[in-house]
Amino acid sequence: MNPALEMREISKEFPGVRALDAVSFDCLPGEVHAICGENGAGKSTLMKVLGGSYRPDAGEIRIGGSVMRLTHPREAAQAGIAIIHQELSLLPHRSVTENIFMGHELVRKGFAGMLLDRAAMRGRAVALLQRVGARISPDDIVAELSIAEQQLVEIAKALLLDARILVLDEPTAALDDRDARHLLDLIRALRGQGVALVYISHRMPEVAAIADRVTVLKDGRLVWTRPQAEATIPAIVSAMVGRDLKDFYPAAPASAPGETVLQLQDVRAAGLPGISLSLRRGEILGVAGLEDSGKGQLARLLAGDLRPEGGTARLAGEPMPLGNPRRVIAAGLGYLPADRKREGLTLRQSVRDNAALALRAMRPAWARPGAGVFAKEALDAGLSRMDVRAAHYGQDIGALSGGNQQKAIIARWLALDPAVLLFVEPTRGIDIAAKAAIYQTMRDTADQGRGIIVVSSDLPELIGISDRILVMHRGTIQGELPRGASEQEIMRLSLGVAA
Amino acid sequence: MKMGKIRPQFSVAAVLLLISLVIFVVTAVATGEMAQFSLQGITGLLQRMVALGLVAVGQTFVILVASIDLSVAAVISGTAVLASWMMGGDPAMIVPAVLLCLGFALAVGLVNGALVAFGGINPLIATLGTGLILQGVLSAGYGLLGGSVAPAFQHLAYGSLFGIPWSVLALFGLGLAMAFVLNRTVLGARIFAVGGNPEGARLAGIRTGWVILTAHVICSLFAGLAGLYLAARVQAGTPWLGRDGIYDLESIAVTVIGGTLLAGGKGGIAGTLAGVFLFASLDASFNMLGIDAFLKQVLRGFIIIVAVAVHAIRGRGHVA
Repeated sequence: MNPALEMREISKEFPGVRALDAVSFDCLPGEVHAICGENGAGKSTLMKVLGGSYRPDAGEIRIGGSVMRLTHPREAAQAGIAIIHQELSLLPHRSVTENIFMGHELVRKGFAGMLLDRAAMRGRAVALLQRVGARISPDDIVAELSIAEQQLVEIAKALLLDARILVLDEPTAALDDRDARHLLDLIRALRGQGVALVYISHRMPEVAAIADRVTVLKDGRLVWTRPQAEATIPAIVSAMVGRDLKDFYPAAPASAPGETVLQLQDVRAAGLPGISLSLRRGEILGVAGLEDSGKGQLARLLAGDLRPEGGTARLAGEPMPLGNPRRVIAAGLGYLPADRKREGLTLRQSVRDNAALALRAMRPAWARPGAGVFAKEALDAGLSRMDVRAAHYGQDIGALSGGNQQKAIIARWLALDPAVLLFVEPTRGIDIAAKAAIYQTMRDTADQGRGIIVVSSDLPELIGISDRILVMHRGTIQGELPRGASEQEIMRLSLGVAA
Repeated sequence: MKMGKIRPQFSVAAVLLLISLVIFVVTAVATGEMAQFSLQGITGLLQRMVALGLVAVGQTFVILVASIDLSVAAVISGTAVLASWMMGGDPAMIVPAVLLCLGFALAVGLVNGALVAFGGINPLIATLGTGLILQGVLSAGYGLLGGSVAPAFQHLAYGSLFGIPWSVLALFGLGLAMAFVLNRTVLGARIFAVGGNPEGARLAGIRTGWVILTAHVICSLFAGLAGLYLAARVQAGTPWLGRDGIYDLESIAVTVIGGTLLAGGKGGIAGTLAGVFLFASLDASFNMLGIDAFLKQVLRGFIIIVAVAVHAIRGRGHVA
């Protein structure tokens, strides 16, 4: 049988990163082909190439045997490719019918094709909803539907355009077990109708249950493609993580960690049904988990950006005022967010201004500027202690490298002498050499008697830097691993496979 | 076939209508002004809606595509001045003058739409800019643009059919037509799509820029119609006609009170006209009570805030 989709030797390079390196992939009509890989393995880049959002540097795409150049999402849709993303592209305030026919409305004969044929659209919507097994009315307003139902509307949209290649990107991430099972049934039904389905998921049991073939990507390269019988869960997991640990992490501390500095006891919040953890002075605690595991929510909770719904928290011997960033900072926790440009920096201000941000926020507004802790000399001393390299500290921080920006943010927090520092994806977008410096700084600040929490998707980083690793899965802490845990152990816990 | 759910849009309009009627009736009864309930009283009330109603119908279109138009007041003044100047009291010039005015409004709409849709300029700034330019040119050139409309043209403002003023009939006729455009035509469907999810609309193959441009042209044309109506009413247009009527901000206020989201993608004509009716009833009631003009403004301000707060609370959870 001819493949519905063939991608041959696709390469795509971004500045500094080879996102895809000669990856080949195909999918037959009536087949479910799963793609697995860690965050950053190249899955979403590959799908963006297929969806016409990225143009590949090399390689070719064949749809139904003929070569296609997809330069715009519209062309991909016309070629019969539909990609269902985690963020849905629906109109919340419009009806199901109006959503299904967005941009492809049926019109009545005559009237210059300007009048809508609402009866015909409603009729076809009923048929499409039946085909996807959605028990909703075509007149329902989308905002009032559940996520699962909205996803079915999105699939109905794809079927209206007669999509022959359907890509589902983490479709069950936001669904509960029952809805996820319904969705898998629908995928089987579509497979029976000859649709080629590309299925991206972190949930191994689902992949095992639904995929006819499995492809594993790693660091932008194809590891292997195997039929289902040969793609066991352990085989997939080890293919996903098989990578050399690089030797640039600081050594483990010589002395045992000190007293407990942060403790959460059964703290509950949106997406977190109950978190208990403790952190000691001098310790670096890693938090691992996949995209939808709740590790991001945990970071927001600790930073005071998520309102707790119960439980107790203590920081530096005092009750910790969760749910308010300012009070969390005052209590002694500094937060270094993953998205530095959006949440971490004031890009158009100087390095010095950025380093002074937390001080200025926490000291009284009537404190004399330019004196005491605000003095230029004091700020510059903090920056040079962190080895921030800039032409001068009056330079706009936007002009600095990611590594130097991150060091400036560390200097900002150290000026307040916090008890705990919380890093999220501390080295994302930072080059190798600067990474090592950041890791050493983290170790040093821990050795000065602070507790450090690192939330990261980068497993080698977590393993290299952490004294202890918590692994999250579906909003809870699935398990705890000591220093020296392997990627396999972490991956198994984060996939929810019993250890 | 199961009946479709009643659109929330209609319930918003119905509630506003009811509140407005209660305010009007209670005030009329309390002040003993029973003449308000005659045909003349009612049509007088409706006639208060015409100018703001025409502008607001157009404003609804731009707000639905998540844009906004602050230049409508200047367009109103511009058409009124142009109409008076070109007619110069000559009935033979009515048709050319009307065409000139609509052409002027169309041009402003095209410029606004192009700046917003293809120039990538924030609509607030783009239309503020075009509005300021027009206002300046009008004020400077007013000395050369004197004149008054033809007496026959005033029939537009003061004439009536079976006791109902032409202008009121025109407002509701045009309102109905534009509601039809929004709900029954491809253009309407695309306007909702572009305002509701621009990226989703683009991925669905909709040429979002052209839809935004069309909405701006419709908005300016309706402002032009309002300008013509006001010229007929006041006989000689002035450059301050639109600005003094605060038609820019009030048209936005009634549109939002009528349930159209400022973020776009939700709303409609029925709600907007109900919002205009609320303002007309309030005005009539304030007049009956003899409330002073400044206090009137204070009360209007409160009502705008309360109405929008009610929407915010009702829509909590998915306020875009």
